[in-house]
Amino acid sequence: MTDQWNDRLSDYIDDELTPEERAQLEAHLTTCRECAVTLDELREVVARAGALTPRPPAADLWPGIEPRLERAAVVPFQPRVAARRFSFTMPQLVAAGLALMVMSGGGVWVLQHGGRATEGPAVAAFAPGSDGVAPASLADPRYDEAIADLEQALQAGRADLDPGTVKILETNLDAIDQAIDESRRALAADPANVFLNNHLADARQRKLALLRRATAMVNKG
Amino acid sequence: MEALALQSPIESVPAADVPLTDVARAAAGDALAFEAVYRAHLPRVYSLVRRMTAGRDADELTQDVFVRLWQKLATFRGDSSFTTWLHRLAVNVVIERFRTDQVRRGRLIDGEDIFELLPGPAQTRDLGMDFETALEKLPDGAREIFVLHDVEGYKHHEIATLLEISAGTSKAQLHRARMMLRKHLGPRTTKPGGR
Repeated sequence: MTDQWNDRLSDYIDDELTPEERAQLEAHLTTCRECAVTLDELREVVARAGALTPRPPAADLWPGIEPRLERAAVVPFQPRVAARRFSFTMPQLVAAGLALMVMSGGGVWVLQHGGRATEGPAVAAFAPGSDGVAPASLADPRYDEAIADLEQALQAGRADLDPGTVKILETNLDAIDQAIDESRRALAADPANVFLNNHLADARQRKLALLRRATAMVNKG
Repeated sequence: MEALALQSPIESVPAADVPLTDVARAAAGDALAFEAVYRAHLPRVYSLVRRMTAGRDADELTQDVFVRLWQKLATFRGDSSFTTWLHRLAVNVVIERFRTDQVRRGRLIDGEDIFELLPGPAQTRDLGMDFETALEKLPDGAREIFVLHDVEGYKHHEIATLLEISAGTSKAQLHRARMMLRKHLGPRTTKPGGR
């Protein structure tokens, strides 16, 4: 066997050779039966690998996964039929209202006075994380669908919530929606503005988080 | 580890039969939807993990993959198919484990001796299982690269990035793995020169 060519057989199969190398190897194969046999065997190995079928584990692995999921993040979509009324304490309501006023007011102020334009790309706000998976751009159908599902669940369980709580939730959601709309309008004029991109992403994440908490309250009741 | 925007032949493989709405619901925190995603993708993820690890801690690592998936699902952007994204995540989980295994580092380059240690092809009729068994007996480095390239469809430059090796090393290890595995093909099914 010509070792020089044997070592290149996989490269030949994978089309990793230059045209010149490929021509030389093909010329060699016409005279070297051992290399030709090896080439066919290697091709069969590749074909066999491509034909492997998935095999499930011997035992279900879910029992070892389910307890490790963060239960706090779980939001069932079907509210319970019999649910008790839920209400915030007054300090909680005041704190939530103040926090929202500060966040939304600050965002609006910055929007009105103009965020500093940048030359960076619009996606800079969604730079890849350090864990190997890029964070989400929330401008996608999955986000909208999740929001729609949560709003539907909240609407279905609205009667189970204290009217005062509902009013606070609606006020907060309106403020967030307003911030989202303003961010979108501002981004239409300045799509590369990193601050505006961050502000929009933050507002949408806050909306998602608020809806999750609200629907969790509905189902907890 | 950097996210890899890699194309893979997995793209052309039909995704497991799980509605994308389940993925979206799971991303929003719905554990029931997440279990549906788990059940739809378990066989392929488990097979990937088992092949890369030769079965060592495959159950535990597969569980780690799905816990990581639960944590990261909301970051799926849809730039690639969900199956491709999930497999990339699984590969990253396995490689992270490899990196914590100090002993394995030495095994990555000691592939030559295994040629003579491997038994011949088993005489069972399940050639797929024979091949799986032979795959498990490959040295770690050659097996990982073979699985990534020939089973999962990664390119050499992608493997080089994932494993922090050169593309040349990836090519050499792949050829070594194929040369070892050809001894386990059993009766020949093609004639020399046949394509």
